[in-house]
Amino acid sequence: MSSDIDFSPVDVLIIGAGASGATAAWNLAETKMRIVCLEQGGWTNPADYPTTGRDWESRAQSDFSINPNRRQQPGDYPVNDDDSPIKIANFNGVGGGTVLYAGHYPRFHPSDFKVKSLDGVADDWPLDYGDLEPFYAENDRITGVSGLAGDPAYPAKQSLMPPLPMGKSGQKLAEGFDQLGWHWWPSDSAIATQPYNGRDQCINLGACIYGCAQGAKASTDITYWPEAIRAGVELRTWCRVKEINIGDDGLACGVTYFDEDGVEQFQPAHVVVMACNGVGTPRILLNSVSEQFPDGLANRSGLVGKNLMLHPYASIQGVFDEPLDGYRGPHDSIWSQEFYETSEQRDFVRGFTYETTRGRGLVATALTGVHTGRIPWGSGHHEAYRKLHNRIAGMVAICEDLPEEHNTVTLDPWIKDAHGIPAPKMSYKISTNSQNMLDFAVARASETLRAAGATDLIIESPLTSGGWHLMGTARMGKDSKNSVVNEWGRSHDVKNLFIVDGSIFVTSAGVNPTRTIQTLALYITDQIKKRLAHLFD
Amino acid sequence: MSNTIATDSLFSIEQRDALRLLARMIIPSTAAYNLPGADDDLIFADILESAKANEAQIAESIDFAMSHDLGSGVSIEQVASELEGHPAMAALVSLVMQCYYRDDRIMVSLEVEPRAPFPQGFDVPQGDWSMLDAVQKRGKIWRDA
Repeated sequence: MSSDIDFSPVDVLIIGAGASGATAAWNLAETKMRIVCLEQGGWTNPADYPTTGRDWESRAQSDFSINPNRRQQPGDYPVNDDDSPIKIANFNGVGGGTVLYAGHYPRFHPSDFKVKSLDGVADDWPLDYGDLEPFYAENDRITGVSGLAGDPAYPAKQSLMPPLPMGKSGQKLAEGFDQLGWHWWPSDSAIATQPYNGRDQCINLGACIYGCAQGAKASTDITYWPEAIRAGVELRTWCRVKEINIGDDGLACGVTYFDEDGVEQFQPAHVVVMACNGVGTPRILLNSVSEQFPDGLANRSGLVGKNLMLHPYASIQGVFDEPLDGYRGPHDSIWSQEFYETSEQRDFVRGFTYETTRGRGLVATALTGVHTGRIPWGSGHHEAYRKLHNRIAGMVAICEDLPEEHNTVTLDPWIKDAHGIPAPKMSYKISTNSQNMLDFAVARASETLRAAGATDLIIESPLTSGGWHLMGTARMGKDSKNSVVNEWGRSHDVKNLFIVDGSIFVTSAGVNPTRTIQTLALYITDQIKKRLAHLFD
Repeated sequence: MSNTIATDSLFSIEQRDALRLLARMIIPSTAAYNLPGADDDLIFADILESAKANEAQIAESIDFAMSHDLGSGVSIEQVASELEGHPAMAALVSLVMQCYYRDDRIMVSLEVEPRAPFPQGFDVPQGDWSMLDAVQKRGKIWRDA
C-alpha cells in the first residue's frame, strides 16, 4: 500500500530489478546508503514455472512466452517490433531476463573491447578485459558458474562447478567438430551442477528458458536479490517508471512512477541508476523530456536509442538416425568458437559462437515437423513424427552485431502501455556484414552436422524470435559528443544519473551478454563507491 | 436463438463439429501404432478446454476452414490439401499438437514418461570428456589485445 511507503529522498534509486539492477543493488548495499529499486513486474514463484505441469510446452507459448507482445502479463509493456526482422524477447519482473534466459554464460574476449584497433570497425571500449577481470570473477562467485577450465578460446579463468553433461546430443555434435578439426568446449553456464549457496543442482528438466523450477539456474531473484534485501535494499514491485525528473541544478531529482494501484507517485533521489535493458532504458530517457532536455534526458549527444544491436542468430539443426537427448537436459551443452576472431579469408569482420542445442520437446518436435513440411497432415503423420522424435540436435550461431545509428529504439507515436506511457519502437536492419556472417555460419554448421551424421538439416536464419540481447542504445565512451555515459557509467549530461545495463555496450561481441552486463554493473557500482566523496564533480 | 453451446459458450455447434473434423484430418488414429486420433474424446475435450485461452484465433482458423466447404461433401483430402500449411491454420494446428502430444497414451507410445518434468527431472549421460584432449592439443585460439 502506498500509505506504507516512505517517500522521503533516497540516496540511490535503481530502476529495474533484472540482471544489472540486482547486481548494482547488491554491490551498493554495503555502503549503508538508503537504496530503493523500482520494478515494473513482480516476483515469480518457481512453483508456478511451466515444468511443474504437463502443459509446460503450451505455457511456453502463452504466459511464459519470451515475447512480451504475446505474453501480455501485467508487468509487461508493448514493444512495436514491426520494423525489425528480429522480434523482441524479454521478461519483466524481479530477475528480469535471467528468469527466462538459457543460462549460457560466456565472457567477452580481450579482442571484443578493441574492435577498432584490431579490425578497423566500430569503436574500442573505454575499458578492457583486464579492467573487468576481477569483476567477472566476483560475479561468477555470486552467480555460481559451471564449466571447465582450460578452454583454448579464452584467457585462463576459474571454473566453480563441473560442466553440464554433454549428453548424447553434445557428444554427437562434438564428433562433428572433431572430424573437421574445429574448436569445441563445454559451455560456461549459470546453472549449478552441484548444490551452491542454497541452490540445488540441475536435474535436467530441459526447459531452462521458461524458468527453472529446480532453482539450479542463476536468475537474480534467487542469487543477488535475497542478499541485497537482507542487506537493507528496498525492492518495490509493480512500480512502472514514467519519467526521470530533473531539477533546476541539472541533476536528476527523482522519478515519477505508477504504483501497484495505478496511482502516480514521485520518489525523490540523490542518485538514479538505470537498469532497464537496451530497450527499456532509452524508452524512459526519451520519455523524460524537459526544457533542459527537450530531446530526452541525457541525450545531448543525440545517441540515446541509437546503435541498437541485437545479435542476429541462425539456427541450424540436424536430423539423425539415432535417438539423442530430445527433451531431456538443459539447453546448454557445448560451444564452438572456431570462427570467433576476425579472419581476412572471410567476407565479414568479427565472428560468432556456436552454441549447441540438445533437442526439443514433443510438441515442439511436432510443430517443427509440420511447419517445415516434414510431418504431413493425415495418415503419414505418425510415421513422419517418429523420424524426428528425439532425433533433432544442432546449434545456433550467435553473431556479433556492429553498431549502426540507423538501428534505433524510438517512442511509438500511437502505442502506449497500460499506464498510458508511450511504448518503444524498434527499427532494425541486418547489416551486410552480419548477413555474410550468418550465411557463413549456416554453411559451416551444415558441414559440422553432416560430419556428425545428420541426414537432414532444418535451418532458420535469421532466427526471427531471437531478439533476446538488447544492446548499444546509450553507449559508453570518453567523448560526450559520441557517447551517452562515460567510462564508468555516469551520464555525460546528468552527473547523478548512471546506466548499468546492456544499453551502454559499445560493441556486442559474439556471445551472450548477461555475464558482461552483470560484470559491468559491479564495475560501475564499484566506481560509485570509490568516488562517493566527489561523485558529481 | 443462438446455436452456441451453453455449457462452455465456446464456438457454435457447427464450429465444434468442424474443429473435431479438422483434428481428425490433421492427426487421424493409427492402427499401426494403436493410437487414437486427435478427435478422440479425451484429447478433443482438452482441445476444447485449451482453446479458451486463444478463442478468437482458433475461431478464425475454424471459420477459414469452413469457408473451404469443410464437411459439405467435398473430400477431406481435397480440403486438407488446401488448408495444410496455410498461415490461417497455424493457431489451430498448434493447439492440436499441444493437446495430442501431452496425452498419456501418446507419450507412453513414444517411450516418454507421462508426467511433468519437475520434480523428478531426467537422466542425461556425461559423455566422453576425453574427447577434449585433441581440442586442447590444438592450442590457444583467442587473440591478444
